[in-house]
Amino acid sequence: MFAFTVARRYLFSNPLQTTLLVSGVALGVTIFVFITALIQGLAILLTAQVTANSAHVTLEPATRIARVLGGQGVDTEAVALVSTFQRQQIREWSSTVALAKQQPSVATVNPQIQGSAFLSKGEAAAPVSVTGVDPEGLDAITPISTMLVGGDANLEAGGILIGDRLAGDLGLSPGQPVLLRTDRGVERLLTVQGVFKTGVQAVDERVAYMSLSLARPLFLLPEGVTNIEIKLVDPQGARPLAAFLQGATGLRATPWQDKNLSLDDALTAQAQTGSLIQLFSLVSIIIGIASALVLSTYRRRSEIGIMRAFGVSGGFVSSVFILQGLMIGLIGGLAGCGIGYGLCRLLAGLTRPDGTPMLPIAPEQGGYLAAMVLTTVGAVLASVAPARSAARLDPLDAIQQ
Amino acid sequence: MTTLLDARGIDMTFHNGDEQTSVLKDVDLQLGPGELTALLGASGSGKSTLLSIMGLLLRPTAGTLEIAGERVESLSDARRTLFRNRRLGFVFQFHHLLPDFTATENVAFPAAAPAGGLSDAMRRRARELLARVGLEDRMDFPATRLSGGQKQRVAIARALMNRPELILADEPTGALDRASADQVLDLMKEVNREDGATFLICTHDEHVAARCTRRVTLRDGRIVEPTAQRPPPAKREAG
Repeated sequence: MFAFTVARRYLFSNPLQTTLLVSGVALGVTIFVFITALIQGLAILLTAQVTANSAHVTLEPATRIARVLGGQGVDTEAVALVSTFQRQQIREWSSTVALAKQQPSVATVNPQIQGSAFLSKGEAAAPVSVTGVDPEGLDAITPISTMLVGGDANLEAGGILIGDRLAGDLGLSPGQPVLLRTDRGVERLLTVQGVFKTGVQAVDERVAYMSLSLARPLFLLPEGVTNIEIKLVDPQGARPLAAFLQGATGLRATPWQDKNLSLDDALTAQAQTGSLIQLFSLVSIIIGIASALVLSTYRRRSEIGIMRAFGVSGGFVSSVFILQGLMIGLIGGLAGCGIGYGLCRLLAGLTRPDGTPMLPIAPEQGGYLAAMVLTTVGAVLASVAPARSAARLDPLDAIQQ
Repeated sequence: MTTLLDARGIDMTFHNGDEQTSVLKDVDLQLGPGELTALLGASGSGKSTLLSIMGLLLRPTAGTLEIAGERVESLSDARRTLFRNRRLGFVFQFHHLLPDFTATENVAFPAAAPAGGLSDAMRRRARELLARVGLEDRMDFPATRLSGGQKQRVAIARALMNRPELILADEPTGALDRASADQVLDLMKEVNREDGATFLICTHDEHVAARCTRRVTLRDGRIVEPTAQRPPPAKREAG
C-alpha cells in the first residue's frame, strides 16, 4: 500500500518530533493502564476483604407476604396474615444444592441451619448466633479450621466451636462443657471442641459452629435447612447467579453486593472516577495527535499541492494522514501498555514491612485491550480533521504559497 | 492540423468582496500535437492563470476548453484529478519534489499513488526517464541531495512519467542559473522532438521564448500576438 509507505516516510522524516509525539501518547496510555489497574486492584481487594468470611450468594426461603383477600361479593376487606407458627425452612434443599453445584461459576455450596441461642456457664451467659454446617463443609464459606487458637475443628464429635472473645467472656476453653439453649427452647450440654479467632469482633463474640446433625434437633428442623450459602469463583458473578437461582427455585437469592450496598456504591463511584481520568487521558492523546498532524499538514502544504496537481486523489492524501494517526496510536498504545504493565508490576512488588502490598494494584487488570482499541480509534479520529483539510487543499494555492 | 488543445472564449474574473478583477478576456488558443509554444507576457498579464486553466487547476468563469477531444471545463473534481494524472504533465518554477523520497520514487509517484504501489515496471520507467534527463548516477539519491538544476530535471522526468499528451510548464527555468536553464530547455526540446509531446511554456524570458517553435503573447488578459507558427530556430543558442 503506497499510502502506507508515504505515511511511514512522513512520520519518520523527523525522528525527534515523532519520538516526542509517540512518547506523549505512551504517557497517556501508561496513565490509563495504571489508573485501571489500581482501581481494579482496589475493587478486588475490597471485595475479597468483604466476602472473605461470607457467602457470595445466600439462598433463603421466600419472604412471606400478607395477602389481601378480595373478590366479588366480599363486602369486607380481609387480609390473610403471615403464619409464624411454622419456622421458615428450605425443605427441598438437596435438589437446590445439586442445581447450584452444576453452575460453572460456583466454587462451593454449603447448606446451613442458622438460629439464635444462649450459651451459659454457671452464672455467665451470652447470646450467640449458631450455624449448623456439614462438618466436611465447615471451611466452605469461612476457613474456620485455619483460624483455630485452641482445640480442633472436628465437628463429628458433637462439640461446638466458639470465638475467642466469647470463650473469654464465658471463661471457656477447649474440652469444657457449656449449656446451650436455643430460641426453640431446647437445651443441651455441649463440649467446646475448639476456639477460633477471625479478627472480626462481631464474629469472635457472637458466632458458634456445630454440625448440621447436631443443629437439627436443637432448632427443630428434622429435614430442612434455613439457608444455603454459595461461594463463587469470581465474586462479580453473584448478581446473575442469584437471579438465575431465584428464578429456578423460587427461593430468595441475595448477592453479596445487596448486603453491602455502601461498598457497592463506593466501588461504582470509584469506577466512575477512574473512567473520568481515563477519558481525560484519551482526550489529551487525541488533542496531541490532532495538533501534531495539523502542523504536519501545514508544513507539507506544497507537497500536498504538487501531489494533487499531478493527479493524486484527495482520498490518497487523506489516507496518508489517517495512516500516520493510526501508526502513532498503535506504536504509542503498545509502548504505553508495555510501560504501564512494567510500572504496575514494579509497584505491585513493593511491600510494607509486614509483607502486605503498599498499593492494591492488579497489573493483569490494566485494561490493555481497551487501552489499545481506544487509543488507536482515538488516534484515527484525531487524524480525520487534518486529513480532510489536507485532501481539500487547493493545489494551486498550495503550490503558489 | 489536428488540435490537441482548443480553448475558446476563456474569461476569468476573480471576486474579492464587491471588487471584481478580470484577468482573462475572451481568450482563444489552439495547440496542435507536438508544438512547443511559449506563452509570453509581463507579470500580471494573466499567463499563469491561463496555464492553470489549461491544466485544470482553475475553472474559467466562461468559455470552453477541449483537450484531446474531451470537453473538460466542467468536469467534476474527481474527473479533473484523473484527467490531470492521465493526460497532463506539470513543471513548475520550483521543483516541488517530495523531500522524503529518492529521485526514482519522485519520478514514479504520479503512477504509483493512483495504482496503490510502486511496481517494478514503474520503477524501471522512472529510471529510464532519469537516465534520459542525465541523472543515471543520482537515481537513488534523496531529493534533498540534488542541486537546483538536477531537481528541475527530476521534475521534468516526473511530468513525463504517465506519458502525457500535454505538458504545462510555468517558468520552468525561473529559479535556475543560465547554464542549468539551458540544460532544462534542451531537455524539453528533446522530449518534444523525440516523443512528440506538446509543451506550453509560460515565461517572461525572451531567451526561453526564442527556443520555442511558437509564441503567444498575453497583455492585460488578451492575446495580442498572432498565433501563427514560427519555424524552429536553425541552431541552438549557446548558454
